[in-house]
Amino acid sequence: MLAERESQLEALLVEREVEQFLYEEAELLDNRELHEWFDHVADDVNYRMPRRLMRENTSSVFSEQGYYFNEDYGSLKARVERFDSEYAWAERPPTRTRRYVTNVRVTRETEDLTEDELFVESNLLVYLSRGDSDEHTFYSARREDVLRRRGDTFEIADREIRLDQTVLSTDNVSIFL
Amino acid sequence: MAAGDKPSATERALQDARDSLDEGFFPLEFFHDEDLHDLEMERIIGQSWVFIGHESEIPEPGDYARRYIGDDTFIFVRDESGEVNLLFDSCRHRGAQVCRAEQGNTSHFRCPYHGWTYKNDGEAAGIPQKSKAFKNLDRSEYGLAHVPRLESYEGLVFASLAEEGPSLDEWLGDFKWYFDVHMKLPEGGMEVIGEPHRWVIDANWKTIADNFNGDSYHTAWAHGSVLDLELGGEETVGHAGTGDSLDRHIHCDGHTTSMRGFEGEDVFLTYPDEVVEDLFTREGLSDAQWQLARQALSFTGAIFPNFGFLHFGDTTDDPEKDVAPFFTIRKWRPLGPDQMELWSWGLAPKNAPEEFKQRMYKMYTANFGPTGNFEQDDVPIWKGITDSASGQFASSQNLQLNYQMGLEWMSEMDIDEEWLGPGFAYSENLEEGGMRLFHEQWYEMLAGNDRTDATGTPINLQEDR
Repeated sequence: MLAERESQLEALLVEREVEQFLYEEAELLDNRELHEWFDHVADDVNYRMPRRLMRENTSSVFSEQGYYFNEDYGSLKARVERFDSEYAWAERPPTRTRRYVTNVRVTRETEDLTEDELFVESNLLVYLSRGDSDEHTFYSARREDVLRRRGDTFEIADREIRLDQTVLSTDNVSIFL
Repeated sequence: MAAGDKPSATERALQDARDSLDEGFFPLEFFHDEDLHDLEMERIIGQSWVFIGHESEIPEPGDYARRYIGDDTFIFVRDESGEVNLLFDSCRHRGAQVCRAEQGNTSHFRCPYHGWTYKNDGEAAGIPQKSKAFKNLDRSEYGLAHVPRLESYEGLVFASLAEEGPSLDEWLGDFKWYFDVHMKLPEGGMEVIGEPHRWVIDANWKTIADNFNGDSYHTAWAHGSVLDLELGGEETVGHAGTGDSLDRHIHCDGHTTSMRGFEGEDVFLTYPDEVVEDLFTREGLSDAQWQLARQALSFTGAIFPNFGFLHFGDTTDDPEKDVAPFFTIRKWRPLGPDQMELWSWGLAPKNAPEEFKQRMYKMYTANFGPTGNFEQDDVPIWKGITDSASGQFASSQNLQLNYQMGLEWMSEMDIDEEWLGPGFAYSENLEEGGMRLFHEQWYEMLAGNDRTDATGTPINLQEDR
């Protein structure tokens, strides 16, 4: 009985750690501290956002060939560094974003994972606003992450972003999700 | 303008536009005008050949994808006999839409309202209670409506809402000579990878048309971040007018392409040697077309009115990785005076190794499409032009945009007399003739006239073609 309570407590603490990490990550991205964010990216990362399809009789189908992002460490780093350029007009001035991370769930018992990795599902709502316009828009997505323990924090080893839109309603995607 | 119509304020303004164009001006207000938008839909989109999709997107019988011409929704579908159709998505009974997915595979489309059912070639196959309720209705007259004209060129399917007019072959004219180089270079041709990217942006469609009709001047500035990061060789982004490479702006039968290349060199858009050796074929290409492909580093271009393409070599997604080419085609679908939907496809040689096709698609998404390192920076700029055009100031002050680059009083601009292809080529890329050509055709069609080429000759009506 006590052992069961202890393991539940352990799970709760892990969930809490994961949530704190995702909230802190969201804050780095909202503050456009992209290099600090990129410090949490594993060097074997697979970061992808497949294109959602609206096929017959299904609600959540994603393209196997078409994607918005399909990044490895080097290409993600290049995207981050591009925003250092004074010519990266899409983010001059920067998009104002506010990320809401919810429905966080942690599964430790997935086959492909090593002992220090966690499979994490979460929902993400991002509010975006640009320039001095009163217009705003949202991205809504579900994320599936593999987070790997690194010291007292985590690194993102794998991320799949599953947007809810089939047709994007933004000029471009110049932020990371 | 049709005789008897009372000219609107917009039409009166258009009468002055012709004079402006001759001076190399175009009024800013034309990038945001409700009346003009309606006229554009009727007289340009409604009278032109509009791109629908590539046949490789619907390879099997029953494969379909929803596609649009202006505000109209169609089903792009391969029927059981293998023929490609474009069916108006509206039941012949009460008009409800019979296809509600973006894509799929089906032998029949069924109306959700009363159950009228159509085969995938459009033929009406089933009408519930027909013998009692519609006993004298001739089913053969109640199939889904086909678009008036549908034609294909090298797998690229275009449709026209106009019952009559030039054929697709006549519309493309000699510009096919250039597009053949892209589509026929690899044995087996090109195919589409994945599904097109689609995104809605608050910008007038003519802004992107301008960009694809030869805006070499913007590249180094608007895409300076790509240069800073060395995500493409210097030559790919490059500064217009340096003269270090073979930079040509080509005008041909109402369409344009810009190229960058290197005289006498084997560049082949930086396709890897194994693809060039195993797949690239001179079959179907003339010696001159082969020479163009051999020397080319990159192409940009546009087919009037709303189709664009980029075929770039020497690009990468990571400065540490080798460069590779990408090939993308796109369509800008006007949704209103201040809004369009962009559609963008990535292509690769059909018979190339799978790994290389993936790499090409990766180069495409890294550079273009909504997340592309190039494209991210273009779109907000076009939105800004549309915003500037939308208020009182542009029209009350009669602000004219300047497209004079390359006109004789602005610079020395030579025609390349030795040019190896049809149409004519400017011997450098610091000129804006492609945009003027676009606006001239825009004007003529809007005014109800025939399109004209850059020399003022009507296109598609030339007797000797």
